[in-house]
Amino acid sequence: MTTGSRASVLPSYAPGEFWDEMFAAPGQVRPHYADLARRLTTLSSADVQKRQRAAELSFQAQGITFSVNQDPSGPEKTMPFDLVPRIVTAEEWTRIERGLEQRVRALNLFLHDIYHEQRILRTDLIPAELVLGARGYRREFRNVDVPLGVYTHVVGSDLVRDGRGTWFVLEDNLRVPSGVSYVVENRRVLKRVWPQIFTDYRVRPVEGYPQDLLEVLRAVAPGSDDPTVVLLTPGVHNSAFFEHAFLAKSMGIDLVQGSDLFVDDAAVYMRTTRGRRRVDVIYRRVDDDFLDPLAFRADSLLGVPGLLATCRMGRVTVANAIGTGLADDKAIYAYVPTIIKYYLGEDEILPNVKTYVADDPTDRAYILEHIAQLVVKSVNESGGYGMLIGPHAPKKDLDAYRARVRDDPRGYIAQPTLALSRHPTWSVDHLEGRHVDLRPFILFGRDVKVTPGGLTRVALRSGSLVVNSSQGGGAKDTWVLEAEPC
Amino acid sequence: MLSRVADDLYWVARYVERGIAVSRLVDVTRHLELDAGTEDFWAPLVGAIDLAGDDVRFYLTSDTMNPDSLVSCVRAARTLSRGIREAMSSEMWEELNSLYGSLAAPTVARPRGEAVSFARLVRERLQSFQGLAESTLARDEPWHFLELGKFVERADDVARVLNRQSHLLAAGSQTKDPTGPDVVRWLAVLRSCGSAEAYARYYSLRVEPARLVEFLLLNPIFPQSVRFSLTGACLSLDALAALRSAAGNEPGPAVRTLGRARAQVELTAIDEVFERGLEGFLSNIQELIAQASEELSATYLRDEPVPGRLVGVARATMIMAAQQQQQ
Repeated sequence: MTTGSRASVLPSYAPGEFWDEMFAAPGQVRPHYADLARRLTTLSSADVQKRQRAAELSFQAQGITFSVNQDPSGPEKTMPFDLVPRIVTAEEWTRIERGLEQRVRALNLFLHDIYHEQRILRTDLIPAELVLGARGYRREFRNVDVPLGVYTHVVGSDLVRDGRGTWFVLEDNLRVPSGVSYVVENRRVLKRVWPQIFTDYRVRPVEGYPQDLLEVLRAVAPGSDDPTVVLLTPGVHNSAFFEHAFLAKSMGIDLVQGSDLFVDDAAVYMRTTRGRRRVDVIYRRVDDDFLDPLAFRADSLLGVPGLLATCRMGRVTVANAIGTGLADDKAIYAYVPTIIKYYLGEDEILPNVKTYVADDPTDRAYILEHIAQLVVKSVNESGGYGMLIGPHAPKKDLDAYRARVRDDPRGYIAQPTLALSRHPTWSVDHLEGRHVDLRPFILFGRDVKVTPGGLTRVALRSGSLVVNSSQGGGAKDTWVLEAEPC
Repeated sequence: MLSRVADDLYWVARYVERGIAVSRLVDVTRHLELDAGTEDFWAPLVGAIDLAGDDVRFYLTSDTMNPDSLVSCVRAARTLSRGIREAMSSEMWEELNSLYGSLAAPTVARPRGEAVSFARLVRERLQSFQGLAESTLARDEPWHFLELGKFVERADDVARVLNRQSHLLAAGSQTKDPTGPDVVRWLAVLRSCGSAEAYARYYSLRVEPARLVEFLLLNPIFPQSVRFSLTGACLSLDALAALRSAAGNEPGPAVRTLGRARAQVELTAIDEVFERGLEGFLSNIQELIAQASEELSATYLRDEPVPGRLVGVARATMIMAAQQQQQ
């Protein structure tokens, strides 16, 4: 290679006015990124392009793809993968871990309370109509005892950092969070295409996730010593189908569709080549609405008739439990610090982003007046849908959202526009700062376990704040460093 | 394993084997064209179609309107595999997926004249898929359903090729000393079953219709013969039936039907085949294979709804309604 093309990819990098994960100031690399930065400066853009291409081919060949908009005939895309890993120090991670565990424990106590005594609703801490009116609240699931008292076996919470580097929880995904297969696969691919960079760091492994998940699922089985666990998928047309197949295969369990299961005499069975086989635990990746056409949406072909009734009788465990959507409603989210205080008597370790609940008259007035500075979100949507970013929106969108908030205040919340932190990210032939977030995965069975790593999503378009893969976001490998031995 | 998954595996194996058979036909049409000039050999080999030359080859390789074309077979096998990738090894899935990816990419639009080399390339990848199955799968249910699909398809394909030529073969079996054009024709039949070399080694004699039929139909040790394929299919089906019986369920009628087809080719001598009539014999084998495939499906793959199911659902609904009233 000639010296001309060895032009380094780093020196021209401008961290900008945001919190940069790698640079404390222009030219000044944060200590835990020092070794990586050294590697990057020895690299030519041709090298990077070659490895980037190798990574992409690897994803293609394995079929690690998602389909956009649930369009079965549409193209299957790979999630764009950025070679430069995101690094989190051991101390930072310890705090994140503790904060997430606290949050998940409190939310499970909250769910148990709401589906049983409803003690918190008799205080004035949270409006009862906000909770009982949540779309995710399932009256049918009241007074059902779930094994170990665990409702959310798998949680994916979205974390962001603001301009001063403070970590915030942006939202909790308590229903069917996805993305963990990318955590494992991104690591595997990065090791394959750029093994050298792993020699400088002691990175905590993430590949134990499927086994940890299986352990959780087995722990919540209703009474069987050797339970049969299955993963229920909506099918190949679901955008996360790759992940469903990946997890089922890694755990060595059957990947089932609704039509593979049936209920008979208050038990769930699957149809197998040797006859029917009893199912004890269903790790479902199907939303509540589609789980059981007898109980919820009658037009659902994805579910299993009679599943809810069987579940209520404690003859099968559904993970995550039915009705957890209540607690990731974005209006309830605003009360999570209150919930932590009420159930655990502790202050929150990871703060919330300031949130205005349109259902509250004072907040609503504030939203309507300041909409151009706010991010407005529909309380039940995810994936970057149903969202308005005020500072970037044309006037007609602002007006449209004002009208929506007025018509359906329970349906909306607003948050200040965050100056999300940025991370050096490969762009054509050099590195540029791009906004990132982080989705760690928290497992809850006998104990809470946070997978050391997570999905760092990156907004690939310059200046964009939207990191969702359905909206043109990409991903990075996320390294959590081993604690230094003391 | 899940009935749906077994069903899809069975059909993946059938489409892969069918793709291999189709790609051999492409090869053969080219040989015939070069050796036999203008005479129309395609119709009997390919089925009743009104095409010739490159058009036949396009129809066989790339025509997406032809459900048995090479690209259709690859697409069908890959589409099914995508939903059951957890049931096969990663190597197998990646082989099919990248093959499909290379077909789907618009940059590889193929000039019509290159159908033969294209077919060979695809065949090698499909055979590699079979090889990966052989070396990466444990010999349990998924493996047996793949074997079953492969051998049922192969027996059916070979029987079909022979049947399309059965008049000529039956007539030719009377003549002792076949002439030039006939030899080309018989060689083509062998080639379309990937068997020309093996035949030469086995008999080391001129290609004669009676021996050819004996080889492709009744040979016990050559893997492309109908007998060998039916034996392989029966072995896997027996293994599956044993597992099902051990779980206390009926093994189903497919075991007997497939066994009957196998007995025909095991216990009949070639002279008897011609005495009874080649066409009738082959048609009977093909019918038994089709019937076994149906029965297999009904017993193992579709697992027809259990009679108690709707009752169970109704009962669950009533229990649920009663509980809700109590609250």
